[in-house]
Amino acid sequence: MIAPDWFREDRLPHIYCTGCGNGTVINCTLAAVEEMGWKRNETAFVSGIGCSSRAPGYILTDSLHTTHGRALAFATGVKMAKPDLNVVVFTGDGDLAAIGGNHFIHACRRNVDMTVVCMNNQIYGMTGGQGSPTTPLGAFSTTTPYGASEPAFDLAELAVAAGANYVARWTSYHVKELTKAVVTGMQAPGLAFIEVRTQCPTNYGRHNKLRRVPDMIEYLRSHAMLVDKYNRLTAEGKPVPDGIFTVGELVRRSRPAMGVKR
Amino acid sequence: MKLVIDESRCKGCNLCVLVCPYGIFGEGTELNSRGIVSPVLDRPERCTNCRLQALYGRMLCGVCQMICPDQAISWTDEKPFEPHRVEVEF
Ligand SMILES: Cc1ncc(C[n+]2csc(CCOP(=O)(O)OP(=O)(O)O)c2C)c(N)n1
Ligand code: SF4
Ligand code: SF4
Ligand code: SF4
Ligand SMILES: [Mg+2]
Repeated sequence: MIAPDWFREDRLPHIYCTGCGNGTVINCTLAAVEEMGWKRNETAFVSGIGCSSRAPGYILTDSLHTTHGRALAFATGVKMAKPDLNVVVFTGDGDLAAIGGNHFIHACRRNVDMTVVCMNNQIYGMTGGQGSPTTPLGAFSTTTPYGASEPAFDLAELAVAAGANYVARWTSYHVKELTKAVVTGMQAPGLAFIEVRTQCPTNYGRHNKLRRVPDMIEYLRSHAMLVDKYNRLTAEGKPVPDGIFTVGELVRRSRPAMGVKR
Repeated sequence: MKLVIDESRCKGCNLCVLVCPYGIFGEGTELNSRGIVSPVLDRPERCTNCRLQALYGRMLCGVCQMICPDQAISWTDEKPFEPHRVEVEF
């Protein structure tokens, strides 16, 4: 196991389903925390409600498991009261972009100094597979039995537009790249947003002909395109295949930030 | 070093089978006492990390451990030291 000093081993195995990507994202985030050399008593994890939001429960630090959608609001409070703490937020696509959408854009606008890791499985996993604001067009879920008919949010682009200092996107297949992105995000002052496309075999895969865990990973791998390549293709006016999403670093800048360590 | 799967944690997702560049993990066939089909290891001494971790003093590759959603993969020291004849095919 990675980062054994940070896991609450007495709580393992965790509640996640077989092959759920959330476990991988916890591994990568804790590997990044170790690389940063942070101390446990100087680090706090904050989350809302959802499968993804259970992550801090498996980590040996102080944590806040807050109400649905409010992780960023609580984290803002923690950071403003104690700027010396390292604050990391785990959140899900529903938690962050549906009920918590307002907090998301304002945390980015304020550029509060923290690291936000969003496990975007494009579904409400915990409550049984209802469609979320990131469920792709045409995807099946319990609330979109004929295929989703609404366009989806691109969370990373949303964070860029709202003002976060560092924004990256990877998938739960790209473990090394993801760990590096989380480290870079933790080093950057201001809000660092890392979207991770993860697999939810139980409530997304099962409805979308991706029942086996490796099928979902293969889907993520084959639909991810480096942002540089995407920009080159679009600049040359070449077509981009359907269903492709960009991965890599989307923005790194130094807008004024709040709650930076003194 | 020796590669081990902690069967009290593994849920049998086979992601390690998918990522190992040496094909060290193979899909298992038998249920263990927890009712889970854990992967089987094929000549794990070929793993870069098993061979070279002590020499380099750091983790090498380690992708299987990183992607394992259930924190089930680790390396243990072999005691007493067991020399292996290792053949790595490229
Ligand atoms: C105020 C409130 N409304 C609704 C719920 C029910 N609820 C629990 S988790 C969840 C969705 C979680 O989705 P997401 O954030 O994507 O997490 P996932 O389980 O997919 O990781 C909902 C709607 C709740 N707990 N509280
Ligand atoms: S329902 Fe989906 S997101 Fe929740 S633990 Fe299972 S696989 Fe993971
Ligand atoms: S990745 Fe981990 S949980 Fe999945 S089969 Fe391999 S050892 Fe078991
Ligand atoms: S560390 Fe790399 S080479 Fe060794 S078993 Fe894991 S994936 Fe295979
Ligand atoms: Mg979700």
